Amino acid sequence: MTMNHSELLSALVDGELQGTELDFVLQILAEDKSAVAQFQRYQQTQDVLKGYGERGLSYNLANKISLALENEPVYSQKTRQHTAQVITLPTPFWKQMTGLAVAASVGALAVVGVMTQPQLASDTPMAAIDPPDKVITVAQTGERWTVDEPEIEYRLNNYLLEHNEQTSSAGVFSYARVVSYGAE
Amino acid sequence: MLKPISVILSFCLILLSILAQADDATLLLERSDLAAKQLSYNGVFAMQKGEKLQSIRIIHRADGQGVIERLISLNGVEREFIRTNNMVTCIYPEGKRPQADRRPLGHGFPSDLLDRMVSAIDYYHLTLGQRGRVAAYQAQELIMQPIDQYRYGYRLWIEKDTALLLQADLINENGQVLEKFAFSSVDMNEEIADLLLQPQMVGNKMSWNRRDTQATINDAAKNTSKWKVTWLPEGFELTGHQNRFARNGSPLEQRIYSDGLSSVSVFMEKIRALHGHLKGGSKMGTVNAYGSIMNAHFVTVVGEVPAKTVEKISSAIQYIEE
Repeated sequence: MTMNHSELLSALVDGELQGTELDFVLQILAEDKSAVAQFQRYQQTQDVLKGYGERGLSYNLANKISLALENEPVYSQKTRQHTAQVITLPTPFWKQMTGLAVAASVGALAVVGVMTQPQLASDTPMAAIDPPDKVITVAQTGERWTVDEPEIEYRLNNYLLEHNEQTSSAGVFSYARVVSYGAE
Repeated sequence: MLKPISVILSFCLILLSILAQADDATLLLERSDLAAKQLSYNGVFAMQKGEKLQSIRIIHRADGQGVIERLISLNGVEREFIRTNNMVTCIYPEGKRPQADRRPLGHGFPSDLLDRMVSAIDYYHLTLGQRGRVAAYQAQELIMQPIDQYRYGYRLWIEKDTALLLQADLINENGQVLEKFAFSSVDMNEEIADLLLQPQMVGNKMSWNRRDTQATINDAAKNTSKWKVTWLPEGFELTGHQNRFARNGSPLEQRIYSDGLSSVSVFMEKIRALHGHLKGGSKMGTVNAYGSIMNAHFVTVVGEVPAKTVEKISSAIQYIEE
């Protein structure tokens, strides 16, 4: 660990890194366990300073970082994947994390809409409809984002809400996506 | 000598036939748009998306005083919507807390969809399909095939005489139906009494004043933006541009591009601290997203368009260095 590395880790905690610096420091974290430990200390210090308390401290940041970075060796913008991947980094906002799962599910409900009840199988034709000439089944479409991290799902839900609010682009089913119940 | 002439004549006749059919299809769509605003009807429609099916009764009255509409969910948790010209009210059981989009219900059903279809007509090939029956009415199929692979298509079934939209399918690039709305029964001859438009449910109410919150372009946001999008599907134009803060306090820039029917938002959120973010594509229902990190920003493209559209737009986003 050099002084420069320490400064970079500190900047990383403060969210001040970008571009190549960000890539560089992530590479350091992937390769240097002492860097991970130092990052953890900085992180905890900042959490305490910000009044987020001790709740998150038992969480094994180092393991999470190592595990995540093993699976995600490249963080460069240049590499694009066709399938969903998650850049999993330890978050300093434990306060946010505590309510994340709940918030994510609520957010999902808000955009999914009223169609929250268990219904017919996908290959069932529309009820009481006499479709012209042939029965057309509806393709399977997921009701939640195809991501693993609740935090990412939460952010995508917020983006989608913002998008829908500005565009009213709710497709055929604008009515159905508007309102649902948080206490189903 | 006669053979080339007959070939040319045949070609011309075929061309004229195609053009005439396109005109007929456009007229039918415009008639249906008008019918959605002017007709009164009382019916039940179903909406299907994946494995979910929702059945809703709709009582819709249009007269000189405007439009009033009542919707009652027929399966699942009870709820009702009352929509008037300027207000939408949702009635839901006590103890249930609704999660509401801040822009509820657009401009009515199904006129909102038809309005947007008419505005985007240049980006779809319209053809008349087969005739058939929907909800016991004779209906004409209208196929809206997108001009490219970057937006979804539609297949509509429109009642022959009144032009009421009876069924609509949202179609992906592989021809699969992603979502379907269809009337199972509808009465267009009945006079809609006031009593039918009164809510029958007892419970909590939540009302929204309808807002015309079409996206706006904030000049300051546009002029100071350091981002550039170098490719968009044909017909997509900037329709909204805002700077604000994300829910976590990070500066967030949102751009909205639309062809009038389909739309995507591009979000550039400054990374303030370490968070996970989407890298690559993700989807939820018919909505696709593509995420990346660029110049310490989470850059995410979200829209009800095929996956390749959000991916291609994402790859065309550039940060302009000072």
